[in-house]
Parts: sequence; structure tokens; C-alpha cells
Amino acid sequence: MLAQIFAVVIFVAMFIFIVTEIVERHVVSLICAALTMILVFGVGMGSMEAVIETINIQSIFRTEFWYMTGEGGAGSGINWETIAFIFGMMVMVEGMARVGFFRWLCMLIAKLVKYKVISIFITFMVLSTILAMFIDSITVILFLVAVTIELAQLLKFNPIPMILAEIFCANLGGSATMCGDPPNIIIGTSLGYSFGEFLGNTGVIAGVAFLAVVPYFYFAFRKELLVNGSEAVDYRSMPSPASAIQDKKGFIISSVIFICTVILLVTHAQTGLTVSSIGVLVAIGTLVTAGKSAFVLLKKVDYKTLLFFVGLFVVIGGLEQTGILEMMAGFIGHISGGNIMVMIAIIIWLSAIASGFVDNIPFATTMIPIIKSLSVAYGVDLSVLAWTLAMGTDIGGSATPIGASANVVGVATASREGYIIRWGLYCRKMVPATLMVVLISMLVIYVRYL
Amino acid sequence: MTSQLIISVGREFGSGGHEIAKDLAEHYQIELLDSNLLTEVAKHKELELHHLEGLEEKRKIKLFSRTVRGFSSSPEENLALLQFDYLQKKAAEGNSFVVVGRCSENILRKFKCLISIFVLADRKCKMERVMKLYEMSESMAEKYIRERDMERKRYHNSFCEGKWGDSRNYDLSVNSSKLGLDETTEMLIEYIDRRRKK
Repeated sequence: MLAQIFAVVIFVAMFIFIVTEIVERHVVSLICAALTMILVFGVGMGSMEAVIETINIQSIFRTEFWYMTGEGGAGSGINWETIAFIFGMMVMVEGMARVGFFRWLCMLIAKLVKYKVISIFITFMVLSTILAMFIDSITVILFLVAVTIELAQLLKFNPIPMILAEIFCANLGGSATMCGDPPNIIIGTSLGYSFGEFLGNTGVIAGVAFLAVVPYFYFAFRKELLVNGSEAVDYRSMPSPASAIQDKKGFIISSVIFICTVILLVTHAQTGLTVSSIGVLVAIGTLVTAGKSAFVLLKKVDYKTLLFFVGLFVVIGGLEQTGILEMMAGFIGHISGGNIMVMIAIIIWLSAIASGFVDNIPFATTMIPIIKSLSVAYGVDLSVLAWTLAMGTDIGGSATPIGASANVVGVATASREGYIIRWGLYCRKMVPATLMVVLISMLVIYVRYL
Repeated sequence: MTSQLIISVGREFGSGGHEIAKDLAEHYQIELLDSNLLTEVAKHKELELHHLEGLEEKRKIKLFSRTVRGFSSSPEENLALLQFDYLQKKAAEGNSFVVVGRCSENILRKFKCLISIFVLADRKCKMERVMKLYEMSESMAEKYIRERDMERKRYHNSFCEGKWGDSRNYDLSVNSSKLGLDETTEMLIEYIDRRRKK
């Protein structure tokens, strides 16, 4: 009982401190992790075994960490597979950014559509969705928003509608694959799903939703985009895509590494390579080919986020080890009366609403053991609950400016250039889009899996 | 005016800091940046002013904002940073100006030509000034002063290491009620002139 109280208090305190930003979130999660070790596992449970299981360092030395052996899931505690993969992707993305890959791609597309505002609007939505399927949405938005503002100033259109649509599509694209959004990586590695399985399930749902999202944003913003953006443009005055490339050789290498990464991810169920192996391979490939810049790339890796993950996994491990999450699963099961349709509705809407206001990473991490318990207790297909959770957390985050990392970065980048996006402006267009996509996701899940 | 001069004027609400800043700008024939700073930023960025209004000198609301890798979603914080960038750019270009508030004593401290002043006043003087200027009752004026000062303090302290109004952050802190606004301005001009000779 004491261990349970400690676990809940630490968890709630962690959430409060993360939301209020009094201390940086990685510091909060690490302090809470230390408290979990001492108070929950030590004082409350007196179990060294729980500590070892939660730190989970032994998992790195198991074959299944590097190569899929058919035993699904990383188990409880620190999910080192997620951390290794995210680290690798961070290194790769830094390498790509250094050589100007993203700016080149954006400029190339703008040129291909002859700098027509509506065409840029639609192609950038497609670009945002596709890139976010493979690269973290923060990087995608960082570059897309910067180029959008540059083009808006040259073509004299209001960039805010385009930025909002790009943010939404980055979150939607992130939901489509296992590596698109951190909750998906955690869900995939924790429950043992492959990239292909995500693509065939959340990917299809995201695809259906995308077909509704494009017309929604087009009709929502068409008038604003056409105010000044229909004027004829002198192409020669526009920056050439080639000017974005900082290092030609590095650019080719980065492009090759990116293509190889996509191939490795798409085929990892066939090759047997785990996402942690892919992450490590990608990091090594990028660092070796970067030469002297390798140290710069390593310095740029967002270690704070990785540390945040480490702490978070320990705190959630505390809830799991003390049976709190099982109790929460029992509560959801009780409300739903064991009815899977109600269960799906609760999970998707609860995840979506919660992710609109709190960081979706701790939320998804907390929910994973809950859906596992629900699956065991009520005989529900775990994968259906996993896709439901992924869609709810990934899409729900789009509703508010603070719901997902991509939103924060997009809003901040635009605001720093003077295009201030307030809550009202943001939510007026994004809340209906979020509700629409969550509803579509729920209906697709009902039709396809029930 | 040959050498660059930047005067930063922090102030308590109702202390007459704005008037003093205005007189200093007139005396040295340099630009005054106060509420017009927003218009200047909008002009510089080719933006419509209404996009930026209502967020000035306000602290961020933590519950409704989030920071990711150093990027903040807070409109208040982003507007403040936009203004800081503008002021720093203006200063780096060698312009002389008087700036009121906006954490200027802190964000421009790397410029040697900066002279930072904080204007405070006795409660009674502040009350009289506010009651006359805004045609308010005594109780309303007191409440208004308290709220505005609290707002400024929170705004300042959320962006700067030093505390708002703490004399250690400014070259000079002066109580405008003792000499009155005109004589305080004269005294400040004498101080600024001496500083510039150093």
C-alpha cells in the first residue's frame, strides 16, 4: 500500500512539474526516477529485483535487443530499444540538417509547383506527412515552417494557415509509422510490433484521415491564402534549391543514409533487425561519414530528451510494479463493461483529450501496461488497442498549441518571426480537424477490426 | 550627437518614468521607444500591428505554454523575444535611443554606451499622479498601481536574472518624488553627461 501511494504521488508530482516547467522536464523525470527507486522499490517494496527489472540494463545484452527472435516486447522498465533508436535518428537528422537537405527539398518542391501558393500549401502538407513518417516531427516542422515563412515573405501571403496545416500533417504523418512519433516507437518496442505492422494499420487509418484533412484545410484557409498570394511571381527572384545545399558530398551521403534507413525500417520484419540495431547502425553510418563534423553532430543530439525518457520509464515502472496501472485497467474495463467498442472509444478519446493538454509521451507510456492488462483480462486483441492508443495520442496532440512537440516548435518559430499564433487562432481551426480525424480513426478501427 | 547613447528607463507605475524618458529623449534628440516599440517591430517585420497587440510586457502563462528544445509556445514570451531582438539589432547598428522597460537594462547590458536608470516614487505621489491621469478614485488607483507593478515585476523577472527594481541591476535608482520630475530629469542629464565623458 505504501509503495502504491509513493508511486502515485511521484507520478502526479512529475506531471505537475512537467506541465508547470518550473524545472526542465528531464531533471524532473530523473529526480522522480531516483525517488521511485528509493521510496517505491526500496522503502515501499524492499525489492532489489524490482530495481534491476526497471533499470533493465540486461536487455541490451540479450539477442532480441539487436535481432528479432519472435519474443515480442521490451518488457517493463527502461525501454533501451526506444532510446537507442531515437538516438540514432537524432544523429541522422542532425547530419541531414547540417548539409541543407530539408531546405533543399522544400525549395525544390516550391519550384516544381511554380511557386503557386495553393499548390505549395497542398504539396507542403503532403511533404510534412511523408517526412514525419520517417523523421521526428520537430525537425520536419522546424525546416518546413522556416521555408514557409521565407516563401510567404517573398510571395506576400499569410504563412499562418500553411503552418497550422503543416503542423497537423506532421502529427498525422507521425501516427502512420512506428518511428514517426515517440509514442509509436514506445508502443512498438514495448509490445513488439514492426514498422510494417504499424504502416499496415495506423498507416492505413492515417491515409484515410489524410484524404479528409487536405480538403478540410483547403476550404478552411483558401480565402486567407489567396488574399495576396495569387499575384504573378518572377521565378528568377526566388532562392534556388541548389543554394540550400551546404556541402555537396555530405548531401549525397546524407541522402543515401536516409534512403538506407527507410529501407531498413520498411524491411526490418523481414531482415530481423530490431529498431535499436537500425538506430545504432544509422548513428555509426552518419558519424563515420561525417568525418570531423562527427563531434559537432554528437554535441547536437538532444540528450535532455533521452534522459527524460530514461526517468520516465522508471517512474512508469514504479506504477507498473505496484499494480496501479492494473487497477486503472480494471477501472476502464469496468466502465466499458468488457465491451470492446466502448473500450476503444474510451481509449481513443481519453488519449486524444489528454494529449491535447499534457505531453503525449508520458501518457502513452502510462497507457501501454494498461492496454496490456485490458487485453489479458477481457481477451481483447492487444494490437487493436495499440493502434487505438497510437492514433489517440498522436492525433489528440494536434488540438492545442501545447499538445505535441511539433506544435510548440511550429508556433514558436512562426511567432519569433512576428506571426504570433495565439490559442484562439490555433484552436479555431485545429480542434475541428482533430475531432474529425479522431472520429475517422475510431470509425475505421470499428469497421476494420470489429 | 556623435557617440552612441542608449538610455534604459525602468519604472514603477505612476512614478513618472515615461515622462522622464520622454524628456531625456528630447534633450538628447534621440528616439524614444516605449509603447511605440510594438509599431516599430511590426513595421520592421512588415506585419499588421493587431497581430502583436495585447501581449506586451506580460509574463508567459506557464499552464498554457510549453517549451520544447528551447522553443516556447507562449505568445507573450515570443513577443518579448521579438522586441529584445529588435532592440539588440538597433543597438548593434549603432543607433542611439531611450527605451522604457522591456528588460532593456538586462538585454542591452553588453553595450558599453548603455546607461540604465530605475525610477521609483513615494506611494502618495504615485497615487496622486494615477488618480489625476486616469481619473480614478483612491482605492481604484491603489489597486491599479499594485496590479500594473506586479505585472511588470513578473514580466521582468521571468526574462532576467536580476530582480525588477533591485538597485543592483541599474546604474542609478532614483525616487522622482523627492525632486519632482523636472529636477529629477535635470539631475539625470547631469549624470548621463558625466558618464559620457568617462
